[in-house]
Amino acid sequence: MKLAWEPEDEAFRAELVAFLDEHTPAEAGTRDFGSGGPVDEDIIPAWSRKWQAQLFDAGWMVPAFPPELGGRNCTPVQTLIYLEEVARRGVPRSLHFPGYAIVGPSLLEYGTEEQKQLVPAAVRGDTVWCIGMSEPNAGSDLAGLRTRATVHEDAFVVNGQKVWTSYAQVAQKCCLYVRTDPDAPKHKGISLLIVDMDTPGIDIRPLRHISGAAEFAEVFFDDVIVPRENLVGDLNDGWRLTQGSLAHERAGLWVEGVSRLEQSILSLIDLATRFGADRDPVVRREIAAAYENAASLRALGYKGFSSFAQGSSAPEHSYMKMASSEAAKAVFELGMKIQGAYGAVVDAERGDEDGRWIRGFFMSFANTIAGGTSEIQRNIIAQRILGLPRS
Amino acid sequence: MDFSLSEDQELLRDTARSLLANECPTTLLRDHMTDPSVADPLTAQLNEFVGLAGGDLTDLALFAEELGYVAAPGPFFANAAMFAPLLAAIGSELLDDVLEGTTTGTVAMAGSDGSWRVNGEARKTFVAEADRVEWIAVVGEGPTVRLTQGLPSRLIERVDTTRRLFDVDTSGASGETYEIDPDALTGAIESATVALSAEMVGTARRMFEMALQYAKERIQFDVPIGSFQAVQHKLADMSLALERATSAVQYAAMTLTEQDSDRHRATHVAKAAAGAAITRAAKDGIQIHGGIGFTWEHDLHLFIRRAYGSETWMGTTGYHHDRLADLIIT
Ligand SMILES: Cc1cc2nc3c(=O)[nH]c(=O)nc-3n(C[C@H](O)[C@H](O)[C@H](O)COP(=O)(O)OP(=O)(O)OC[C@H]3O[C@@H](n4cnc5c(N)ncnc54)[C@H](O)[C@@H]3O)c2cc1C
Repeated sequence: MKLAWEPEDEAFRAELVAFLDEHTPAEAGTRDFGSGGPVDEDIIPAWSRKWQAQLFDAGWMVPAFPPELGGRNCTPVQTLIYLEEVARRGVPRSLHFPGYAIVGPSLLEYGTEEQKQLVPAAVRGDTVWCIGMSEPNAGSDLAGLRTRATVHEDAFVVNGQKVWTSYAQVAQKCCLYVRTDPDAPKHKGISLLIVDMDTPGIDIRPLRHISGAAEFAEVFFDDVIVPRENLVGDLNDGWRLTQGSLAHERAGLWVEGVSRLEQSILSLIDLATRFGADRDPVVRREIAAAYENAASLRALGYKGFSSFAQGSSAPEHSYMKMASSEAAKAVFELGMKIQGAYGAVVDAERGDEDGRWIRGFFMSFANTIAGGTSEIQRNIIAQRILGLPRS
Repeated sequence: MDFSLSEDQELLRDTARSLLANECPTTLLRDHMTDPSVADPLTAQLNEFVGLAGGDLTDLALFAEELGYVAAPGPFFANAAMFAPLLAAIGSELLDDVLEGTTTGTVAMAGSDGSWRVNGEARKTFVAEADRVEWIAVVGEGPTVRLTQGLPSRLIERVDTTRRLFDVDTSGASGETYEIDPDALTGAIESATVALSAEMVGTARRMFEMALQYAKERIQFDVPIGSFQAVQHKLADMSLALERATSAVQYAAMTLTEQDSDRHRATHVAKAAAGAAITRAAKDGIQIHGGIGFTWEHDLHLFIRRAYGSETWMGTTGYHHDRLADLIIT
């Protein structure tokens, strides 16, 4: 047991910090948690596209990847340090995660040689990807998806509908989960296709989310023809591929959630001070409880990472997503509470907070829903970690 | 940054675990309710490990976690985790005797409000096992530490019968008095607080494991009750609280061992997280057991007693949140 990192890892950090200090675009630092995403402007602004490409070219996009994929073959510990530094500064690597975090790694693992050629542009952000999993009747129960692809000699023909598809309206490509065998048990008849978003028969209808911005969409497929070679992995083996994401970053991804949480607690202390609530014993205790939560989650994350680095499966990580997303919700709610009657005001001329706490609070709902709801996370903890029987 | 245990630490933990499983069954806890001397043989065996008090807090904390798992009675904790660090802080040679196992002591500091802050009150409260040790170190204004013997004490009756806390009248105290550097005093108290938090994590783990086991065995509506989602989600939340506390305590022990600047905050975080985990394990643990958990015969209440006895000792969760607030809100 020890607190310090090894000297070679600190050297890695120093090099990263120097790069970030010199190159981080001004726009990246000004994104506040209450900004809630762009309402009318571009979802992926030009500065962020440029920044992602710059990170890739310098080997700082996914440091564990080899240089030709935007990395520098770094170790798991260095990846953790990387995620820690980037998150602490609130610098987003990219404003569209599916390409580098999910599609790239999945294609590297399961794709054909030709499909692997798509990876560099996905990681560099030159190609924007979306993930078509959820449907109106298949959310938590993803395996219940019904979008149908009939199998023909040299093509698939897709009919159906996806929903909540983030970035669909700006994406060039989609990783689409479809049912290719309607007679098989529900986990066994799913396949994964790469679909060009400009293929005839695709209709994209942007959906505004709670902040008013349209970052996701409904996507309709009407006799959409997808070439046979766009099948990823084996036919009807798509379910296994839903698990694919950045395996070598997964052990450190919690750092983002925890760092964001810690940042919002610092803002909360600042808010309490400006509103004179910093002398209120109830508020003080609640802020301290939030701090305790974040600090103990950080310790839990490091502990899990230590067992991961030693080769264990590190169940600690299964707790992190649920705990940090729930904790963030509580922190934003406290921020609103401190503002009293002004908690729900988003009028720039009334209250100097400009509604950032309630906006942050609203946005924080997403993280306890998307990517497996908190209830689904508890089911996973109970059944896979604690070994309780399925109901 | 490395949280993994060394081979020596794993050996220490395993040794403690098997020793305590044999030497501290729940029958001992029950007999101890009426006759504290039944724990003397256990105390003698634990004394073989008192040398841990001269080493890293990370090791002592691992040992304390195992003590908590069995709710070990007796003065070992007060002697090794409270008295020894205070002797080290004042540079007393009595420390050598403690580490060799030839003498024992406890610490009297809290006044009538029960909080572990320097005060000038003559009546000290919540002094652990005052009648089963040779020395009482009395912390007074200055701050000072006086090493005393033979002070009159009175057992404070509490629901927790596994740890005995006393009122001690220090008005007639004699014995050598040492001045102590306030930072050194803080360090000794923090070290004891983190050891107690580790102990609490052990007790929380015991109650959690009892509940998990029961959820897998108890059949209702023809299925194990652990297949019901309401029970599953309780256990998931209990385990999260426990994992958080385990990690926070380990981190705090590392910060104290290495004199890291985060140690003051980390100590309060550790005690508060342990308090949250232990009370959750107690409340949800008994709920999952249903009626059987409410009986005297079932062992669960022995640990629930210890849980509330520990959560309220050396600063409640609320107290530690308040101290933490003093450090982070400036
Ligand atoms: C901001 C955002 C972005 C998203 N982006 C994408 C995307 O890019 N691509 C994509 O495919 N999807 C995306 N999603 C969809 C997301 O994955 C789903 O919303 C999520 O899986 C939950 O499904 P659902 O909305 O249908 O809710 P439901 O599954 O209907 O759940 C409703 C409620 O029932 C509870 N519930 C359901 N099943 C259980 C159970 N077994 N036990 C206990 N409780 C249960 C849930 O916890 C929840 O509280 C996005 C969602 C959001 C909010």
